[in-house]
Amino acid sequence: MEATSSAKSIPQKKSRWNRNKVYTNLSYLVMVLPGAIWLLLFSYLPMPGIIMAFKTYRLVRPPADSFIQNKFIYSLIQSPWVGLDNFRYLTLPTNIDATLTYVRNTVLYNLLFMVVGLVLSVALAVIIFELTNRFLAKLYHSIFFLPYFISWIVVAYVVYALGSSQGIINSGLTSTGFAPIEIYKEKIYWPFIFLVANIWKYTGNGSIIYLAVITGIDRELYEAAAIDGAGKWKQFTNITLPHLIPVIVLLQILAVGRIFGSDFDMFYTLPNGAALVKDVTQTLDVFVYSMLRSSTPLGYPAAAAFVQSIVGFILILITNAVVRRTKPELALF
Amino acid sequence: MDIPIKPDSVPKGKFFSLPRKKRDVLALSRTTNAVLTVLLGVLCIVTLIPLYIIVISSVTSEAALTANGYRLWPEEFSTMAYTFLFAKGSIVITAYNNTIISTVAGTILSVLMVALYAYPLSRNNFKYKTFFTFFAFFTMLFGGGLVSYYMVTRQILHIQNSIWALFLPSAFSPFWVIVMRTFYQTNVPNEIIESARIDGASEWRTLFQIVMPLAMPGLATVALFSAIGIWNNFFNCLLLVDDAKYYSLQFTIYTTLNNIRFLLENADKMQGLVNISELPSQTFRMAMAVVTVGPIIFAYPFFQRYFIRGLTMGAIKG
Repeated sequence: MEATSSAKSIPQKKSRWNRNKVYTNLSYLVMVLPGAIWLLLFSYLPMPGIIMAFKTYRLVRPPADSFIQNKFIYSLIQSPWVGLDNFRYLTLPTNIDATLTYVRNTVLYNLLFMVVGLVLSVALAVIIFELTNRFLAKLYHSIFFLPYFISWIVVAYVVYALGSSQGIINSGLTSTGFAPIEIYKEKIYWPFIFLVANIWKYTGNGSIIYLAVITGIDRELYEAAAIDGAGKWKQFTNITLPHLIPVIVLLQILAVGRIFGSDFDMFYTLPNGAALVKDVTQTLDVFVYSMLRSSTPLGYPAAAAFVQSIVGFILILITNAVVRRTKPELALF
Repeated sequence: MDIPIKPDSVPKGKFFSLPRKKRDVLALSRTTNAVLTVLLGVLCIVTLIPLYIIVISSVTSEAALTANGYRLWPEEFSTMAYTFLFAKGSIVITAYNNTIISTVAGTILSVLMVALYAYPLSRNNFKYKTFFTFFAFFTMLFGGGLVSYYMVTRQILHIQNSIWALFLPSAFSPFWVIVMRTFYQTNVPNEIIESARIDGASEWRTLFQIVMPLAMPGLATVALFSAIGIWNNFFNCLLLVDDAKYYSLQFTIYTTLNNIRFLLENADKMQGLVNISELPSQTFRMAMAVVTVGPIIFAYPFFQRYFIRGLTMGAIKG
């Protein structure tokens, strides 16, 4: 029936096809609608609010005849522009040390996690793939993946059970005659705790994607290399690694964009609010949050958050541009 | 067969007698293999120790824990903490309820929204494909910052102090949209969709009856990850809930730990102000942590194969 009608009148079929096309696009638009609304409300709506960094935000009740009745929007518009004053506050002689410390913590922890995470995830993927006993390999991988599903709050309990004054480590230390350690009072332990916790939680998850890539590599490449006398290490650097590079580059570009952000839950819950170790545990995210919930004028945390957003965004653009220039096929966009 | 199997590396049954040389071309040497197997085995045990500690301290008797501190093997076992937890712990029950409701609602919402949003992006005949891809992708690169987000959610969307606060902010994810889009593209053959259309199925029918069943592993992955994301979510509650009626499980157990640690560490300064013996017992707290992790641990062995398969198929372009 389709065939006969189209054979008889071509124009009619064309208009029907057009109507179908409109209908198709309309259906597609309805499909993306819920997600688009969510993005609009939770991601795009906060974006203009970034101008708070350049204002002294004051809560003003909108007058009854005002076009805008929402308190926040009205206040945001009415609040006076103050240029860079909020940023100046963060760099005042009294605050500069704290600000720089939090920036340093954020960036250094991120770099550390990026490098260590990458190396360990790739290593784990390669080893899991190479193990002869496939049952054990699968079991191991399942176990390494498990911590990804455990919340940081539970990890905070573990840190407490291990490291508190009554914890396992201190029980062991005191019973063998050593002095106990005070993790909630001494700074030195924290970089180590964060690093171990981060490795514990993310290595198994990180290795999945690399494992998938490695599995997809043609085995004949390795056979040829082995016959030519290349050892495992040579096979890794000359075959495995080049195949992994696109994924590594992609993930690292995204990680660079988050370099001013941090794993809030980890940095907030593991030290458990211990004030004495703040200098090595507080990151920008936590800093912004604690300013937000204190009596500090909102412009100050807004300024810090502005730096986070903009610097992250610019870094992602730069990294991507550099990658695009050297190897266009690896660029994110 | 979920974790990819390396071909030719496992001689089995009658193939055992295959010439060893064939096997040795790619397999690790026996020594290296043995060393790595043992090494990874040890690391696995280390990985599980934190969970073990929580579980074992939750079944230690309170007296033993107070007298000897945390131990790897307790002198005295007791299930008191659990009896206590479910008998009296109204805050835990409320928190459990809130978390279960928000996890179920949030998971359903996010699977639906992600599945619906990702499908048109995978279709070449969608006119606004580029725009909506960018619309989602851009939010992964840039955001308005925490302060603005806080003000918008509280003063414009007004979701604070309600059950909505616990899951609505996590009910959609551009990251999973990108993964699902790739999943549709690589796992649902275009020919099937085209033939469904020729047979007269509408876009909706094609999606729900043809595409979604084929994309089940991907959808299951999205479902499980959002379920766990919301179950473990702490930040939504921290930022948006002040009323204990709507506290989530994670937030409740965090506050408990935080209060206790503060009181214990500062006990000397607060002589007479707090009676330490009135605090929730230590085993009680550890039991709280266990019931928080419990459902995940039980579900994990059944679902982890989906995670891995869904993740790898969606993340890699064919």
